[in-house]
Amino acid sequence: MSIIAALSLGLVMGIAFGFLLEKSRVFEPGVIVGQMQMRNFLMLRVFLAAVASGLVVLALGQLTGLIPKLDPKATLYGAQLLGGFLAGVGITLAGACPGTILAQVGVGYRDAIVTLVGGLLGALTFAYLEPTLRPILLTGSPGKLTLHGLLGLPFWPLALGFAAALVGILYAMERWRPWRMELGENADGLLPPTKRAERRAEAAAAVARG
Amino acid sequence: MFGLKEKAWSPYLAGALIGLLQVPAFIFLGTALGASSSYVTVSVSIAEFVDPGIRALSYAGKYLDGAKNWWQVALVAGIAVGAFLSATLAGTRRSAPSPVWARALGTKSTAARFAMAFLGGFVLLFGARLADGCTSGHGISGIAQLAVSGFIAVAAMFAGGIATAMLLKPVR
Repeated sequence: MSIIAALSLGLVMGIAFGFLLEKSRVFEPGVIVGQMQMRNFLMLRVFLAAVASGLVVLALGQLTGLIPKLDPKATLYGAQLLGGFLAGVGITLAGACPGTILAQVGVGYRDAIVTLVGGLLGALTFAYLEPTLRPILLTGSPGKLTLHGLLGLPFWPLALGFAAALVGILYAMERWRPWRMELGENADGLLPPTKRAERRAEAAAAVARG
Repeated sequence: MFGLKEKAWSPYLAGALIGLLQVPAFIFLGTALGASSSYVTVSVSIAEFVDPGIRALSYAGKYLDGAKNWWQVALVAGIAVGAFLSATLAGTRRSAPSPVWARALGTKSTAARFAMAFLGGFVLLFGARLADGCTSGHGISGIAQLAVSGFIAVAAMFAGGIATAMLLKPVR
């Protein structure tokens, strides 16, 4: 694929991606921090729905031969545990993931520009440190391990079964708390205090009054 | 439900549509959705102006050229455009930092938020590159391919995210 074609395709796909991230509200810092404090589950809903539909289309792609080959990443236990943990710390502090930073920039959040600059410097720092980190954390991969590979099964039945389980989980989540309750008045994921937080505030006020 | 001017779509619908983007990614590029390696492509391309030697680093050099790398740069640039369009149609454009930060930090200081945003962005991309992927690459794409790397990285991301969020003030 030529560079121009790749750029055009990327731009079109990105516009769709950004549009959907904005409509899903998952790019909101209030949604992301709320998820990490287990007080708002919009992020998990979007995430699991995207995984479920990805599983289905990749299973169908394999079955029809339209997507003959998957592209899983190599397993590196140390790098993925430590790197993943650090990325998680960053998700909460930034209130964003690498993709949603751009959605925040797009809607106008001023602090997202700062997050973006921090992100570029973090990636550049890693690029410079990679030769040093490689012998410690980035070697000895057992390969591109996959669940279906480990179980010796074809991808599609496992993928469809897992997708069905995710749909079940999402259905249960919606029964437990409808998604609209987690939007917030301004669609930013900011919710009124819980009953427990209100009681705590009242108790603190009572103590203050003596 | 599909109204372009709606403030929010069902997270299940929007999420499922995001998952469908795997189809063009695989058919045209043979790869899955991802976002974090574009930060290497862009930052190393800029750094090359002052440090031409960076191209010789095998990791940095790997991300400099080629259709796949620049496809992802265009993808994340497109995210900003798409989010801008959606927010403009719905009247949900923003300017000041989200009010969640005043709750989480207990201060409305913009300087505090900017410092936190910078640190957060730095740690986020450093960690994502160390792990070889982010919420998109390991999360949405890795788990959708039943990759062991995806399950490990996502579990670690939630562990780090939750541990950090517990140190902040409750947001509700």
